[in-house]
Amino acid sequence: MENLKRIAADHSIQIDIEKASKSFGEKEVLKDVTLTINKGEFIAIIGKSGSGKSTLLRLVAGLETLTKGDLRFDGVPSTQSTSNITMMYQDSRLLPWKKVKENVGLGLDGNWEDKAEKVLDAVGLLSFKDVWPSKLSGGQKQRVALARALIHEPSLLMLDEPLSALDAFTRLEMQNLIETIWSTSGFTALLVTHDVREAIRLADRIVLIEDGKIAMDIKVHAARPRHMSESKLSLLEEEILDRIINGQEPKINHPRKTSNL
Amino acid sequence: MRKKWIYGFQPWVIPFALLLTWQVTASMKLVTPSLFPSPISVLVTFWELLMSGELVRHVFASLWRAGIGLMIGGLIGFALGILNGLSTTSYRYLDSTIQMIRNIPHLALLPLVIVWIGIDEGAKIFLVIIGVLFPIYINTFHGIRNVDHDLVEMGKMYKLKGWRLFKDILLPGALPSIFVGLRYALGVMWLTLIVAETIPTEVGIGYLATNAREFMQTDIIILSIIIYALLGKIADIIAQIGEKWSLKWNVSYNKEL
Repeated sequence: MENLKRIAADHSIQIDIEKASKSFGEKEVLKDVTLTINKGEFIAIIGKSGSGKSTLLRLVAGLETLTKGDLRFDGVPSTQSTSNITMMYQDSRLLPWKKVKENVGLGLDGNWEDKAEKVLDAVGLLSFKDVWPSKLSGGQKQRVALARALIHEPSLLMLDEPLSALDAFTRLEMQNLIETIWSTSGFTALLVTHDVREAIRLADRIVLIEDGKIAMDIKVHAARPRHMSESKLSLLEEEILDRIINGQEPKINHPRKTSNL
Repeated sequence: MRKKWIYGFQPWVIPFALLLTWQVTASMKLVTPSLFPSPISVLVTFWELLMSGELVRHVFASLWRAGIGLMIGGLIGFALGILNGLSTTSYRYLDSTIQMIRNIPHLALLPLVIVWIGIDEGAKIFLVIIGVLFPIYINTFHGIRNVDHDLVEMGKMYKLKGWRLFKDILLPGALPSIFVGLRYALGVMWLTLIVAETIPTEVGIGYLATNAREFMQTDIIILSIIIYALLGKIADIIAQIGEKWSLKWNVSYNKEL
């Protein structure tokens, strides 16, 4: 992890989303969302399919543009920001015609090969650097995708359900890896997931989106690494699930509401 | 493992049996040998023409026409395919015109080509160009259009633009389709050449066959046909090797056939 510290300098950004709305034609997917994500924070956005959580992520990534409202990185409008933002998708999106190392170094100039080997080492796949992606397992592919995101020294790493297609064991491994890397390099992390347990394991803060609005915004106070066997955490999981399914307010942690329904 | 030698042998059983039947029936002389030569006499003719240097001259003339035509037509088709694949504006201007021209059977242009361009090399090469252009155009175009959109989005996220986006994502993504177009174009190329070489000429495999017809040299006619077949097969094998090499990352191309 020492390598990684040198690669990913200790930088992160603050994200300010202010009264953001996004419509696709008639349909308003995000409604007047205001959210501040602090420097170096690990935030998880959860919600059912179609709740608008992915749209929020794509807006921050610059893959969609806001219909109304503001998006600023460190106070600068996102379109003028020069911050490095990288992303892990649900599928690894590796280029099948490039070997692992070339995939990691995609779009880089100069002496990228050493850096590529360092990040591959950090995700534990250095010995696979000359392998075609088609020879990798799902978990290995996502590790490569993570390495590709890290080599750019992101100040914001976005994770769009990157672990949902993996088996349970691999998912746990990957959660640990992501957590370790995040705590070493200190970027801001934005995870979209519908796995509440994953959100609790990884995030400092969990934001629930329902019907295009923020329905809940709570902090997770627990030391890392977290174990779901801790009663406090399993209680929290139950409360959040209850909130999603039955629409009840969670009682613990004194929720800090940022949006009124 | 034990049966491997049988697999290599199996494809040759039927061709060999046919050849044997041909030799046997020909040597029974049911038909006069000048109309129905035996494979051995075709082989002898082949050897004679090869030794005199005639055959090489004719084969090279034909290869040259095919090669130049494929290169020019292929490049035009490829460039148009890329252009229309990348730019919707260009697609709207050009595609329907290209499709209209494509629907003319290019061999039907033969009389017009003779009148306009004449009977020398230009006319033959022109026909080959027109023949190979469209399969390469269509397959390049579809290849570019069907590149996985998610990969393109990922590339843009990692700030790939212009030439690099093309070189790293669009072109490799379109390559399997482009090779399908190339192999199809090779078939059209030989077909066009056979017809084009019936335009009076003094060299080429087509000339060899037409000339032999005048003198009832059936063995040479058969030899010409076999040479066309061989050249076609060789060209396809070369294209296949190129395809395998450039698609070595693709599992489905790596499988042994």
